[in-house]
Amino acid sequence: MPIHEKSLIDGVIEKEKAVVDGVDVSGRWNTFIKERLLTDYHEDFVQEVKSLQGGKTVTNCWQCGTCTSGCCLHTDYGLREFNPRYFIYLAQTGNVEELKKYENVIWRCISCNKCVERCPKGVKVEEVVHAIDEVMRKRGIAEDTPGSRWDRTYLDNIMATGVLDELGLTLKYVRSEKPADFTRGFMARMAFKIIKNGNVRTGPIRRRTKGWKKMKKVADSILEADGYGSTK
Amino acid sequence: MTNPKFLVIGGGPSGLSAAQDIAEAGGDAILVEKETFLGGTPKKLHYSLLAPDMKPVEEVLDPLISSVENSSVRRLLGASVKSVEKKGGRFNVTIESNGTSVSESVDAVIVATGFSHWDPHKKYEYAYGVYPDVIDFKDFEKMLSDEKIVRPSNGQQPKRIAWLLCVGSRDKQVGKFYCCRLGCAVSIKQAMEVRRIHPEIDTYVYYMDIRTYGFWEDKLYWKSMEEYGVKYIRGRIGSINKGEDGRLIAMAEDTILQRPSEVPFDMVILATGMEASEGTLEASKLLGLEIEEHGFIKPLESDSMPVSTAVPGVYVCGTATGPKAIPDSITEGSAAAMKALNYVRRRTIKVPAGA
Repeated sequence: MPIHEKSLIDGVIEKEKAVVDGVDVSGRWNTFIKERLLTDYHEDFVQEVKSLQGGKTVTNCWQCGTCTSGCCLHTDYGLREFNPRYFIYLAQTGNVEELKKYENVIWRCISCNKCVERCPKGVKVEEVVHAIDEVMRKRGIAEDTPGSRWDRTYLDNIMATGVLDELGLTLKYVRSEKPADFTRGFMARMAFKIIKNGNVRTGPIRRRTKGWKKMKKVADSILEADGYGSTK
Repeated sequence: MTNPKFLVIGGGPSGLSAAQDIAEAGGDAILVEKETFLGGTPKKLHYSLLAPDMKPVEEVLDPLISSVENSSVRRLLGASVKSVEKKGGRFNVTIESNGTSVSESVDAVIVATGFSHWDPHKKYEYAYGVYPDVIDFKDFEKMLSDEKIVRPSNGQQPKRIAWLLCVGSRDKQVGKFYCCRLGCAVSIKQAMEVRRIHPEIDTYVYYMDIRTYGFWEDKLYWKSMEEYGVKYIRGRIGSINKGEDGRLIAMAEDTILQRPSEVPFDMVILATGMEASEGTLEASKLLGLEIEEHGFIKPLESDSMPVSTAVPGVYVCGTATGPKAIPDSITEGSAAAMKALNYVRRRTIKVPAGA
């Protein structure tokens, strides 16, 4: 039977020329659906998530959906693909192939932490979702995203002197990412305002933590132990 | 006045508890046990640790057994009740013990004949008895108590084990409409035991819903996921096949993914339900007790009088009236003993009306 409503089906394969068991079925019979059968569960993925500081509570989840039903992104913003409950299940069962479909969705969590407040099983959902994202990128399943690049820029910035340099951070990030809303005029107005009130110091006069060199060593070793890589 | 006499049929947790309490209250108890040892099904099938405190079964039952053995309870092992005759408010019973027949006249009878595990052969699609690696959870309980977790087919340690809940429970196809109450708890406990001894074995539980009621929730269900990493897959396995490499293929629907799954396992353990034992059915016939719709003995009022029966002087306790855990059975044994003692007291001492 030919397949109707192809747009509703996930994984339609259409072939120009199709041969099945030596019979040429090109033309009317050239459309196939990708196999949906699940053939294995993988334990190693969840172990890797659990080894990260943020992923410790991944195995607590019992799939009730409290997190997703209160999620800002899922409900208020309407990004229905963002389903933290589902991401956790995929991580628990090690379904990398399905997780890959959400590589451009998972990082969008805005860390409002409503899910963490509400979870009846004490899952730190926000941290777990970020840990899943982290593992996916570590394994090369997902590419770097604006979210992960922001995290990296932020970490590098704060690790330089121990105090955040907001202006330096924003400039560096906007220069490399070029977000549409951050026009030259907008940036100039913002920079003028925050430099004028004197709270923000950047460049050579940026704030520093006393004895940061020693403390940085400790901070680095913690980050490395938690699996976030070196900031050197 | 002669000392009142009580017949306790069944030497499992509830029967032991009833006999012990009768002896302690000064009554003469005769304990009839079909097997040659006391302790009932938990001992017969070599249960390992008991949920939820993970105590060995010996630690729970042995004090009860030795207290009965050191009391005035007359124990008849390898014995069964052959006939019961009601006469003048008393019961004349014939007990066959090791080939010899004993006749006794007792004031009250306590039925503690227990349950048996449902036979998973009847669920042909799970291939129990066809593939040696499909075992039922009482077989696995024995493996755990022997501390030898191996695949029956080749004697090697399994890499991945699945538990399937509700085999012979909650299933109209086999005429079992009720929940066995213990399958979830025991399966989860087994998975925890496996992970504790061999953390390298992956454990998956196929469930429809997890019924670890009361304090079992955090002590078993939560603990198993949080501390032992037991995985839960929502879906009932439809059939078990054999893969090319000799592993079992569990065919199920992963209902959270909404996708069919055919995942290989080294062993599948069936959590079989409870049904009334043969002894329970025999006792009900001998004493004229009614059987309720699930096949167990019907108590007089299941809510307010759970250990009384429609026959005056006959009391029932433990899993003879339905699925129950060991602590509940022990409690019911005591309750039945109390009811029986009061029944005899009322008949032998003139009690003013209304008391």
